[in-house]
Amino acid sequence: MADRKPYRALVFSGMISGALYLGLYLYHREILAAFTRTDGWYPALPVITALVFSFAHGAFTGYFWEVLGVTGKRKG
Amino acid sequence: MELAPAHFIDLTTANVLLLLVIGFVGGLVSGFIGSGGAFVLTPAMMTMGVPAAVAVASNMCHKFPKALVGAHRRHRYGHVDLKLGLVMAASAAIGVWLGADLQRHIKSNYGDAGSNLYVSLSYVVVLTIVGSYVMRDAIRVFRAGDTHADDRPSRLAQWVQSVEIPGTMMHFRTAGVRVSALFTVPLGLATGMLAATIAVGGFIGVPGMMYVLGAPALVASATELVIAFVMGLGGSINFALHGLVDIRLTLLLLAGSLFGIQLGAIGTTYVRPYLIKVVMATIMLIVAVSRILVIPVYLYQLGKLELASSTVAALQYSSFVLLVIALATGAIVIVAAMVRGRSTRVPDLKASTALAD
Repeated sequence: MADRKPYRALVFSGMISGALYLGLYLYHREILAAFTRTDGWYPALPVITALVFSFAHGAFTGYFWEVLGVTGKRKG
Repeated sequence: MELAPAHFIDLTTANVLLLLVIGFVGGLVSGFIGSGGAFVLTPAMMTMGVPAAVAVASNMCHKFPKALVGAHRRHRYGHVDLKLGLVMAASAAIGVWLGADLQRHIKSNYGDAGSNLYVSLSYVVVLTIVGSYVMRDAIRVFRAGDTHADDRPSRLAQWVQSVEIPGTMMHFRTAGVRVSALFTVPLGLATGMLAATIAVGGFIGVPGMMYVLGAPALVASATELVIAFVMGLGGSINFALHGLVDIRLTLLLLAGSLFGIQLGAIGTTYVRPYLIKVVMATIMLIVAVSRILVIPVYLYQLGKLELASSTVAALQYSSFVLLVIALATGAIVIVAAMVRGRSTRVPDLKASTALAD
């Protein structure tokens, strides 16, 4: 079984995830203020943001374990 | 800009690190037993000073995207019964809305201390009853010496599977059961209500699917992730409409838990099925004791009990220590089982490589 580890994908997804978290850190006050508003479409913000972070960061964490060689024992 | 009336704590570096670590371990446990990150995360946030309603809301908003990632991973291993998950989730979604309304009602009538007391009492009752039952079953399987065997349906599950209600019978292929959809409704409702209260519906959902419907532990724990996603999404929308989600907590939890849930899901492919029950029951029982310790504190805050301030501090500290022990125990058992599983896998791989050569 030839293991081609997804280094490039790991770096790419890591950069996206890192950028998202950097944005959260830099603007956390403004974000918290907007995300706890209950008028208009503001309540959609936390839900959409959680999904966006999970796609980016979820991809990164998946590649992370794969690169480390930690994979499932059986499939199907 | 004015913040919503809920209380949002200042995040210190220590709090951030703690959220990352407990997020990771909570994720590890969730990926492994299908649920359970939350029962550690919610009290841990409450220990930091986050009010219960905000802790539950922020936790739930991190749960559904995490569950999506975990369900996707375990689907690849063939553990997820999507149909069972969606059928259970349909009634669980209603349960979540009912539970969230009850939670808000208690908060508006009795304040944060009342809400904290209600959440802690729910923890104690559910975790003690269900945790003891699951532990008894795990011990029974261990004593019988058939820990490698797949689960056998309980007597209750055999009866449930034997009941024929025309027009309601459903076949759940991955779980390998054929039951009336009517049995899934109360199970789903209870799962949803518990999820909205303590953010861990899985402590009804997973044992329910195992002992009432007769699904194997691996399938039940993976399918719970589908239910967690659906009701987490519904619950998060409801909490967000009331401005209760602290997105900083949500995203910090996600940062650690997405590493954990992938690892926990991978871990299920290395272990014997009964270990899922052992991990679940052990953590549930330790957390139950942790929550029992803080009940006097909330009674004191409500003015129903006289306590010295040193006693309050000691109770809160002990409760937190137990929480850490619960976390550590779950993580150690899972990681140890994975390491053992991997070491037995290496000779297998060597053998197959030798054959290929």
